[in-house]
Amino acid sequence: MMSGLRGIIDRLSRQRGVRASLIVSEHDGLVVDSSLRFGEGENGERVAALAASIYRKARLSADAAHLGAVSFLQLDSDRGRLCAVGRDDLVLVVVAEPSANVGLIRVELFKALETLA
Amino acid sequence: MADEIRRWSEELAREPNSLVFLQLAEALRAQGQLAVALKIAQRGLDRHPGNSEARALVDRIASERGAEETAQQALAALAAASHMDSAAESAASRLFADLLLDDDQTALLLDESGYVLGGLYLDGDGVDVGQDVGAQLSGISEEIVRSTRHLGLGDWRSLTFETEAAVVAMSPTAQQGLVVVAASRSTPLGLLRRLLERCVERAANWLAGTSGDRKPRTSGSRRILP
Repeated sequence: MMSGLRGIIDRLSRQRGVRASLIVSEHDGLVVDSSLRFGEGENGERVAALAASIYRKARLSADAAHLGAVSFLQLDSDRGRLCAVGRDDLVLVVVAEPSANVGLIRVELFKALETLA
Repeated sequence: MADEIRRWSEELAREPNSLVFLQLAEALRAQGQLAVALKIAQRGLDRHPGNSEARALVDRIASERGAEETAQQALAALAAASHMDSAAESAASRLFADLLLDDDQTALLLDESGYVLGGLYLDGDGVDVGQDVGAQLSGISEEIVRSTRHLGLGDWRSLTFETEAAVVAMSPTAQQGLVVVAASRSTPLGLLRRLLERCVERAANWLAGTSGDRKPRTSGSRRILP
């Protein structure tokens, strides 16, 4: 399983403009596996925890509005993007440059999600 | 009682100096006709200024009438305040109504604590779930800010997520508020973002105009989603 997760991380990280890719437990925000280019260690763990929390809040708000499961999440900011998809307790998170092709990243994230299933 | 009042009234008309005004005023007071009772008692006291019973009766009726008027004034003020609150709440719930393009769209303004300030968030049954959505999104702005700071991504502009039934987008506003818009899955993402921008602009203007006299809204209704 771990080699499978590593393969997912590697494929996501090969996308142009991707600075980091992580697999995170939504429940506790812990990193399951990651590839980071913006820093290592504590920084990545914090980002994982925060990304998991954001994803969880989105999922719970969708529940509250009876909108069904969250399939794809995208955070846009001045200098980059954060994209995430989730299944069960796992959340795949990608941090990318503003110039990155979000459409391709989205496709890769859904492919990765299929691999996780 | 009505017969007695009529009889005492006739007697008082025949004999204006009669002390029957005491019984008549007391009977009218008991019936709640305080204004008439006070008038009769006061007129009797004017004719019999040394009558302590008449003075006591005037004082009692005047006191009761004053309390009644005070209560009526308080009720009127309460009704007026309630009406103003309802009008303000209704106006707040319609904050984004003219910006929404169809019944599949909804928009909500939350404060920094997740309380609803304006707009509505209706589910597929037309029930306003704004408070529930606000509660779940409480604190999300702060966590996004922390995330973007750790990642060096700069200020966040929007968060968008797709669900089985809808696409949802949100953006920060002044005073750490949050505008949330939702639309059906068939809505193009670009259109949703344009709607979000317009709602954010409306919210900013509204917040600037109502700052200081606004309060979180607790209910509302309008139809939407999915």
